[in-house]
Amino acid sequence: MKMKLFRNPPHSELPFSIGVPALIWQVLFFYLPLAILVVTSVLKFNEFEAFEGITFEKITFFLRPLYLKVILSSFILALSNTILCLFIAYPLAYFLAFTAKRFKIFFLFLLIVPFWTNFLLHVYAWFLVLEKGGFLNNLLRLLGIITEPINMLNSHFSIMIMMIYYYLPFMVMPLYSSLEKMDFRLVEASLDLGASWSQTLRRVILPLTKRGFKTGFFLVYIPSFGEFAIPELMGGDRWMFVGTVISNYILGDETGSLGAAFTVVASLFLLASAIGLYWVIDRLIPWRIHDVKDAA
Amino acid sequence: MMSKMPHKTERLSSIAALAIVIATYLFLYVPLVVLLVFSFNEESFPSPWKGFTLKWYHELFQSTHLWASFLNSLIVAICSTAISLTMGIFLIFYAAQGGRIGKFLVYYYGNLVIPETVLAVGLLGFFTLISIPLGLITLVLAHTVLGLGFVIPIIYARFLELDARMTEASLVLGATPVQTFFKVTLPLMRPSLIVTGLLVFMISFDDFILSYFCAGSTSQTLSLFILSMLRSGISPIVNALSAVMLLFSSILVLLFFIFSQKTRTRIF
Repeated sequence: MKMKLFRNPPHSELPFSIGVPALIWQVLFFYLPLAILVVTSVLKFNEFEAFEGITFEKITFFLRPLYLKVILSSFILALSNTILCLFIAYPLAYFLAFTAKRFKIFFLFLLIVPFWTNFLLHVYAWFLVLEKGGFLNNLLRLLGIITEPINMLNSHFSIMIMMIYYYLPFMVMPLYSSLEKMDFRLVEASLDLGASWSQTLRRVILPLTKRGFKTGFFLVYIPSFGEFAIPELMGGDRWMFVGTVISNYILGDETGSLGAAFTVVASLFLLASAIGLYWVIDRLIPWRIHDVKDAA
Repeated sequence: MMSKMPHKTERLSSIAALAIVIATYLFLYVPLVVLLVFSFNEESFPSPWKGFTLKWYHELFQSTHLWASFLNSLIVAICSTAISLTMGIFLIFYAAQGGRIGKFLVYYYGNLVIPETVLAVGLLGFFTLISIPLGLITLVLAHTVLGLGFVIPIIYARFLELDARMTEASLVLGATPVQTFFKVTLPLMRPSLIVTGLLVFMISFDDFILSYFCAGSTSQTLSLFILSMLRSGISPIVNALSAVMLLFSSILVLLFFIFSQKTRTRIF
């Protein structure tokens, strides 16, 4: 009871007003700009930039097949990137959490250093590897797999390589984090009691790491949907993605408000697809142990 | 402990898993090794190995453009880290005086969830509307939003983990709440503040998307400088720059590890 005295809210308003800047900043530079973005996408201006009324023309302008195709290709890019990252990241995170033991810190270090280095330098590094006279072509020629150098840049392959390279740590970290918290004795118990590896993975490890699984999934999916630098640099203007269209409109002359409208349209698609994927993930994998019991 | 012999398929799958791990680390490091090797090559890239030289590093340190943009990135990163950390500490101060900031926390989740492109477009429109000229100031404003998204949830979580008996002892022994905050709470949180600061600094320093939209034409950051070099083709100076930057981030990651050992602060 005595301690309660100190936990009472203070009488002066000073502490609250000291906490306020963080809140003001958030409203002023996060919520307000986004609200303005949504509003400008439905406002109509005449050629003297005077307000004329509300219109949905700019929104419907982007609901044409051309732009829906752009949104679809971003969706495919983001989803395939996320799934590939997931398949690579799970064994890696498992290795870091349980197998690496004494060398854990070392392997984590190796994973984070590229992640903390400017990604454009990695784009450049991949240029050197994938170029016609680059490392990979020379290696394949040396091994006798190819005779003529193939051009690997400006392809879906090079875009995908770079996407995975950049986004992999975003997937590994949350998975590692939740695997590390998991009680490994449960895995041993499952194996000792006769479950196979795939059964253990499906019925013990996956349900126990669902938090990390979901966090990683959306940490990769959402930013890769809006990605524009990687497709442009590795794909060489050949394919249009949501990010490319946005940056072209926003940075072009006189097309800023169209860009705002497209950003809103694409964000709505992203939101809808994220909710849909969340629903699918929730139903695809039995998340709780007792769900599994019912299924079996 | 495990009495059962590992099943044949288990052994196979663990070999497959190990192969994936090795392949992943090769995938991460082969490009970097190629990059580093060719930073010492006498001839420019498509040519094979000619001989050892340090001339690209020499040229790198003479490039005034590069160091100007490096300085800009440094200024922006330091300012946005300092501002977001200070505002975060202020908010924790309010929490330490009995304020319930848990309910505010949810307002900051959006910063990390929203695609950076959307945030950048929104901020660009906002800056144009209230006619703030694009430059270092707008970059600091934008990066601070990103920083708050990391700082507030992380340091609030650390604050909740503090041993409440410490502050109670301080209060019982006659320290004022403000003294308690500065002499007990803040020193206890120092490692996690350093770790969070390093994280925000690095995110700001390496940021590309917000800089691309909100930097304007006058102030170039390191990311934008590298982009312009990439567009003008392959140059061994970029190799040398990469080597220097890898060293720089290795040191920061090392510091990050040292301090996060003390706090168990995680990136996610």
